[in-house]
Amino acid sequence: MLKFDFVYLLEQIPKLVPYLDITFLVLILTLFFGTILGFILAAWKLGIRPILSKLAYAFTTAMRCTPSIVLLFLVYYGLPALASIFAFDLNDLSKLFFVVTAFSLSFGNVMSEIIRSSYLAVEKGQYEAAVSVGLTRFDAFRRIILPQAAVVALPNIINSILTLLKEGSLAYTIGLIDVMGKANLLIAMNYEAHALETLLALSFIYWSISIIIEKANELLEQRLSKGRTFVKTV
Amino acid sequence: MLEVREIRKAFGNQEVLSGISFSIEKGDVAVILGPSGSGKTTLLRCLEFFEQADSGEVLFDDIDVDLRNVTKEQIKAIRQKTAFVFQNYNLFNNKTALENVLEGLVIGRKIPKKEAEAIAKEALDKVGLSDKYAYYPSQLSGGQQQRVGIARAIALSPEIIFFDEPTSALDPELIGEVLATMKKIAKEGTTMLVVTHEMSFAQDVANKIIFMDGGSIVEEGTPRQIFTEPKEERTRQFLKRMLPEYTYYI
Repeated sequence: MLKFDFVYLLEQIPKLVPYLDITFLVLILTLFFGTILGFILAAWKLGIRPILSKLAYAFTTAMRCTPSIVLLFLVYYGLPALASIFAFDLNDLSKLFFVVTAFSLSFGNVMSEIIRSSYLAVEKGQYEAAVSVGLTRFDAFRRIILPQAAVVALPNIINSILTLLKEGSLAYTIGLIDVMGKANLLIAMNYEAHALETLLALSFIYWSISIIIEKANELLEQRLSKGRTFVKTV
Repeated sequence: MLEVREIRKAFGNQEVLSGISFSIEKGDVAVILGPSGSGKTTLLRCLEFFEQADSGEVLFDDIDVDLRNVTKEQIKAIRQKTAFVFQNYNLFNNKTALENVLEGLVIGRKIPKKEAEAIAKEALDKVGLSDKYAYYPSQLSGGQQQRVGIARAIALSPEIIFFDEPTSALDPELIGEVLATMKKIAKEGTTMLVVTHEMSFAQDVANKIIFMDGGSIVEEGTPRQIFTEPKEERTRQFLKRMLPEYTYYI
């Protein structure tokens, strides 16, 4: 076994960092599409149409029961197979497409539950008060319910984003070269020598990003939670 | 001014309102009395369209609403003329006292910010909260929160204010300040329809008492009629139970 080489570790970091763009691209695209999906699913779950609500809950059950990596493979192999039945050829599509699709489905599901529960956490009476003083339904939602629901949802959302960031590393399993994929390549190119240093370098990168996101969470929470007081016990 | 005809409302098989009719004139302070579960709150909530009544008719000045098929425009028009004070205050928790009052003026009524601010401050001053403009609901006592609720209602200068058990969630020592505020605005000629268990308010401030039981109006009349010579046995029993309880002076 080779001796642990700290300098080697430091050298790996600049080799990995350029591949963060793919990691972030997956993260941001998934956040975008997943959040849209989350709002739609939450609206269905809370809505008055029983069919849509059943459908949304069934989707949630399905997503909860599927491991991320299985879902990723299902989308990567299943979607082109499904599309070929309808004579669409998806085989030339970028791997990014499949990764973002798979993660958006599972992140959308998580978001739908976060949105649903935080919406329910805001007292209904405030909505009634808002419409009775002449606000439209949309204004009541945007100006009264949403800001309060956002405070409730924020810690969960940040948690899910961190999970997503880390699960995003699974993308290398279908050959998308993000920061994880690159680390894997570096290890392979070196015949698995210094694998530990490379993986630690990778961990440092993930830790740094996660800590930044956590700090952002703290700042945002302080900003959003005006008007809230917390029980303090001695 | 406000006339209600044959309002009916059922939750599932349970009929909560079985044909309620009454009318209110401008300047009236009408109090609805009745035991719990008699449909008082549901009646108010139907008039503000928080609940959809099954049938009946609401005539408000020149607006004639058939409750079987209400349009969005009619709901909006009625809400323009009315304001609602809630049992649980229902203040906007993310907004200060002043912003709570401003919200309806600026966003609902589209009154310019400057003008709205003057109106809002005047309303808060009237309920005795001139030193609490910048306080969030969580920093106010129950009585103060409810007075913000009242300020939010009067700022809109509605033609009538509905009060849904405005003191029921309050500590006994805070009830007085809210009742005093209500009395003050009643004396200014505000038309009010009040659901309450506060007999002192009904006796001293109201000019009309409506006694409800089991989803219908048992009898109505002036406070003197209802409190001294009730015609119905059910009214008499209810008053006998309630009257010794009143201990607040306003």
